[in-house]
Amino acid sequence: MLEATNALGNAVLSTGGTLTDPSAAAALAVGLAALGAGYAERGIGSAAVGAMAEDDDLFVNGLILTVLPETIVILALVVVFIV
Amino acid sequence: MSAVGSSNPEYVVARVRARRGSLYGDEEYRKLTRMGPAEIARFMEESSYGREINALGSRHGGVDLIEYALNRNLAQQFEGILDWSEGALYDQIARYLRKFDAWNVKTIIRGVYTDADQSAIEVDLIRAGEFDDRRIRRLLEADSIDAVVDVLEDTIYGPPLREAYAEYEETDVLVPLENAVDRAFYERLLSGLGNDEPTQQYEAFLKAEVDFRNATNALRLARSGADIDPAEYFIEGGELFTRGSLARLARNLEELVEYIADSQYADELGPALRELEEADSLIAFEHATDAALLAYGDRLGTIHPVSVTPVISYILAKEREVENIRAIARGKEAGLPVDQIESELVIT
Repeated sequence: MLEATNALGNAVLSTGGTLTDPSAAAALAVGLAALGAGYAERGIGSAAVGAMAEDDDLFVNGLILTVLPETIVILALVVVFIV
Repeated sequence: MSAVGSSNPEYVVARVRARRGSLYGDEEYRKLTRMGPAEIARFMEESSYGREINALGSRHGGVDLIEYALNRNLAQQFEGILDWSEGALYDQIARYLRKFDAWNVKTIIRGVYTDADQSAIEVDLIRAGEFDDRRIRRLLEADSIDAVVDVLEDTIYGPPLREAYAEYEETDVLVPLENAVDRAFYERLLSGLGNDEPTQQYEAFLKAEVDFRNATNALRLARSGADIDPAEYFIEGGELFTRGSLARLARNLEELVEYIADSQYADELGPALRELEEADSLIAFEHATDAALLAYGDRLGTIHPVSVTPVISYILAKEREVENIRAIARGKEAGLPVDQIESELVIT
């Protein structure tokens, strides 16, 4: 992850822009939010699958809880439209 | 399924919590205590024990059926937990479940010693530990204690058993062998645990169990009036007792209970300890320590929801359920009155 951030920084620098460039910063914000959502879904998803394995009725609840962290990404997308 | 990789407590805890919800509660126990053995088997068939009752129903009947179904269900549930868990979680759970390996080894040794039938030994095994079916088969096929020790050569029980075998050959009593198995189990139980917060809680729980085991052992020895030094049966690793203090306290029940009530367990085990203070008999004392451990386990399970502790808490609750149902079934078979059976149950 960190290496990728570095590479991204280098790429941005070599094409003349910087990370302080508003659209680059917005892109980074969305990317980091997506990463956070992914990490949150990892735990929730495995717990949801575990619960479903015991009781099929929990499928809907599990699905809803698993995708809840996606809201972080949607909120982060707002930033893209602001800048 | 193995101790490599990262652990997956979320998955295991979610499954275990769902199973915990289907354990019997007060209501079910109240019903069970008013049934005969056949009705109990029927009741179990309609709950989570259905598969085992059906599988064993044709070969066994009555209280035996209940007992074997309970053992098999327990083994399957715990085997399942070990199957799901990975990484550090597997190691932590396997530590505790190895006590069934120890139980199996002792059962087989006793069986071989008394020349019991192979199938008679087999039904008493609880296949919940780490030993796979192949090793258990080889253990069952062993026709002498020497052969049993050979099969166990590459396990943690190998070296201590080999040592104890020499003593067994001289004296022809099983005590050194059984002690060797127990010691090997308890040594592994507490060695090399991690030091993050939930693991420390888990370690504290294991230490509490060792402490209580020491206390009960000491009391039993003292009550039996046998001329055996309690220090000889002392299990290392607990925090409450030392070899010397245990030998001294074992002579007096009141002093022992007071000692536990003044210890670090006092805050955590409040209500159970009060019961323990009132406990006048050895059985009541053992029940009180069981209830205290169970309460302790329940508490553990809620502090760190995503760690090993809820799993251990479920394992304890399940073991307790199995023992309770067994007590009810056996009590009914012996024709005990309902209120006496109820006093035998440990329910939190």
